[in-house]
Amino acid sequence: MSVLLILIKRNKFWVAFSVLAALLSNLSQMFFANLIGKLVNNIESRSAITLSFIITAACFIVSNAFTLLLNQYVGRLTAEKMAHSLRMGYAKKLLERSLKEKYTLDTASAMSIAQNELSQANTYLSNTFFDITGMLFMAFLATVFLLFKNVFLTLVFLIPTFLILIYVFFSSRSLSGIVSKAQNEKNRMNKVAYSVIHAFYSVKIFGGEKLSMKAYNESFESWKKQWQKMGRRSALYNTLSGIMSMIPLLILLLVGALMVIRGDILLGTLIVFLYLQSSLTSAIMNLPNWLANFKVFTTNLSRIDIS
Amino acid sequence: MIKLENVSFKYENAYVFENLSLTVKDGEKVGIIGESGCGKSTLLKMIAGLNIPTSEEINVDGEKDPEGIIKKVSVVMQSPMLLPLSIIDNITMGHDHDEERIEKIIEAANLKKWTDSLPDGLNTYLGDRADELSGGQAQRIAIARAMFKDAGILLLDEPTSALDGENAASVLEAINRFTSDKTVIHVTHRREHLNGYDRIFMMKDGKLIEA
Repeated sequence: MSVLLILIKRNKFWVAFSVLAALLSNLSQMFFANLIGKLVNNIESRSAITLSFIITAACFIVSNAFTLLLNQYVGRLTAEKMAHSLRMGYAKKLLERSLKEKYTLDTASAMSIAQNELSQANTYLSNTFFDITGMLFMAFLATVFLLFKNVFLTLVFLIPTFLILIYVFFSSRSLSGIVSKAQNEKNRMNKVAYSVIHAFYSVKIFGGEKLSMKAYNESFESWKKQWQKMGRRSALYNTLSGIMSMIPLLILLLVGALMVIRGDILLGTLIVFLYLQSSLTSAIMNLPNWLANFKVFTTNLSRIDIS
Repeated sequence: MIKLENVSFKYENAYVFENLSLTVKDGEKVGIIGESGCGKSTLLKMIAGLNIPTSEEINVDGEKDPEGIIKKVSVVMQSPMLLPLSIIDNITMGHDHDEERIEKIIEAANLKKWTDSLPDGLNTYLGDRADELSGGQAQRIAIARAMFKDAGILLLDEPTSALDGENAASVLEAINRFTSDKTVIHVTHRREHLNGYDRIFMMKDGKLIEA
């Protein structure tokens, strides 16, 4: 985690800018959803759709497109800037090492880290990190927005959601230990492979072929065992959280429909709730997987010294 | 005996050396000095069977085939090239060994004091501790590995170039201790490391000149 904090600190302007872009994009999407709700309410009450309403809707469509573009662009750029800080930070740290004092000419280890941990962390930063952050951000903002809209209806789906979050928290904690072990085994296996390549001459001269293969096979078996365990556990937790994430939606649909029938809320309001609640549902459904991937990311980062 | 007669080696269409000849008798100690990049390490790798000559062939103890030559030599290189395994595995490379002989080798390689201080001794895993290993310790493990192989020919490729004075002296002392009855070719850019050697050559412009 400390490496991630260093990366955020070194790119604080871009991180702040991407958070702002995500905030604008999410707010725009929420207000657009609200506008759709109003449109449904107007149709339901057979009210006229005014020109100003159409202009507002058009403005929101443009704003949605622009903020989404800004969010994607700034998010990708920030991710790339952070990935660059990570690569250059690692290279700088390597160059600072003293050849004379330490056996830091451990080229195999450096190669293995550069090819595996660094590459995986870069991929995660570039492809996943800001997408996940954005979705979690959206889930949080949507909940706050809905609380302002109707406290009772929000609590109706928020209470079961909170119970599911407790399950996700504990299952993720259980999963993160296995993920961390599996990732360490993978790193160890890669290091053995790179060491064999690096020490090729020594292996040939001293007849270490059998020993090298044995070491590689042992590290491969250890990794396979941990990886299979992680895959099984991850699939189970994700399936359960996926099933459970449907419960708040069903309760919302049931209670919301009753409120619409009783005339407590309009149909458009319920549609806004259903639309925005889905951002929370999808976040919860994927949370164990996201947390597992985040653990892999932080385990990789912990092996990259950039301090 | 090592015999090279009119041997050439080409790298990317350019000769590193051409028509080079050298004979080293059994038990002889030969030093080769020269500036960085002059081809002395390439020559040493060729004698070890790791580089194949472009023309003619080399003869190491009657062996001409690289796979056979490799079995006749021990090499200590500039980089120790350790594997992420235990200290004992890095010394024996998985071959059978008896404890008494290992004890003697550890002592001769100046490793005993350090390995005795480790909780797991010779079974200490080097994989996660490579950064904690000093250059001198890593190189002494490489020397212990060469001692364990006990080949009649020892090839040294700047084994102390990455070490400070104290560590270099300790490594050289360990080398000298076990090479008294061996044929040695020591490549270095520091002539003072070749005191007591039978012959010293200077490698320049792809040629060996006796210094």
